[in-house]
Amino acid sequence: MKMAQWIKTPKTYILIAIVVYLSIASWATRSMAGIENGGIAAGTAIVVDVLFALIKKRKRIMPDGAAITGLLVAMILSLNTAWFIIACTAALSIISKHLLVYKKKAIFNPAAIGLFLSIPIFHAEQSWWGAFGDLPGWYIPLLLIGGYAVTNRVNKYPQVFAFFLITFAMTLAMAYFHKGDAFDALRPPFINATLFFGCFMLTDPPTSPAKIRDQVVFGVIAAITGSVIYGLYGGLMYLFIGLLAGNVFHLLMQRLTANRPKSSSKPSSQQKSKPISTLQR
Amino acid sequence: MAKMKKKWVVLCSTAIAAVYTAGYWATESDKSNIPVNAVYSSPSATSSTSGSGTAQVLDSQSQVSSKYNDGTYVGMGSNRRGTIQVSVAIENDRITDVEISDFAMHYSIDDVVGMPDEVLQIQSANVENVSGATYSTRAFSDAVQDALDQALRA
Repeated sequence: MKMAQWIKTPKTYILIAIVVYLSIASWATRSMAGIENGGIAAGTAIVVDVLFALIKKRKRIMPDGAAITGLLVAMILSLNTAWFIIACTAALSIISKHLLVYKKKAIFNPAAIGLFLSIPIFHAEQSWWGAFGDLPGWYIPLLLIGGYAVTNRVNKYPQVFAFFLITFAMTLAMAYFHKGDAFDALRPPFINATLFFGCFMLTDPPTSPAKIRDQVVFGVIAAITGSVIYGLYGGLMYLFIGLLAGNVFHLLMQRLTANRPKSSSKPSSQQKSKPISTLQR
Repeated sequence: MAKMKKKWVVLCSTAIAAVYTAGYWATESDKSNIPVNAVYSSPSATSSTSGSGTAQVLDSQSQVSSKYNDGTYVGMGSNRRGTIQVSVAIENDRITDVEISDFAMHYSIDDVVGMPDEVLQIQSANVENVSGATYSTRAFSDAVQDALDQALRA
């Protein structure tokens, strides 16, 4: 792939956005820990990804997706997280990407499952500092600018809008019925986490659907599951659990589609154009 | 798949912003429950106390030549990840008991269960930071310090 082509890929959009965010957050917190954590996580993820590529004897080794996963992990784990926990979480993410697969595609969002498992296994603390979780609220528009650019590039507006709409509607219902901690959910750092998660993790092309209807259902499942978990238990795992539930829905839809006789399937606009989900991270 | 038209992007974004705003407005009344003097800070930033100043003396006795008043004091520490409330018992300038009376952090309470004993041991609010529990450690330390500040003789 030529440089000009690579620049236009969804992965490059995401990579540029999260590197910019990481730089801004590091500058604003006046700490180099974020850059160091990013290097550790991305480095570990790339090494593990390359190892798997060598084991699988892949001709093309391009670990840019692994770098994105590693950076996402580093931006969500607390700045004070021990380096080996960051490395292990990044490694877990990439291992899941290669082992938990269906038709050679990852079933679960690698960063989400790594971060989800890091809580019970490593007792990891998450702060979403890379989503400006420790900074004033006026940094949020920066999240939305990059988030919309990435969502537009991967063509996932229906999914992201469904997720945000249901999440905020359920939080409003929680506030109305005085259930759960709606106050926190709508303010930093939780609103930062929701926006960053919706635009940068939920939209991962290989682990989310391409069809509009499936995108909407995916977003609704992720939002309802996450909001129910948050309302009942609080904590910080709710977004990841929501996404993993959406990933399971996506897997089921893939299996149903694969089992359907070809003669009964009607040609759709989806089949005419190259689906975005083929652009593997 | 065709890209969503800009008109629809704007309309959907506006609808989402409206629902968000309604939720934000509906939860504004909960603001009164948040400690007024709380200072939100990143654990990586320079130390700043987020004690709320809401501690109250439950039972105090006057003493003449000591640093603290005897009694049990309630202190609160908070940051963006939640709030911890502790009750600290003081007798003859010594911390004799520390209890976590309310834990409302978004992390596990297991992170801080050993800290009351540590305060009794070191006789100070400056507990050692626990890896993986920076925000809870900070909130707990601030809560104990807040209670001690309340106990200080004027």
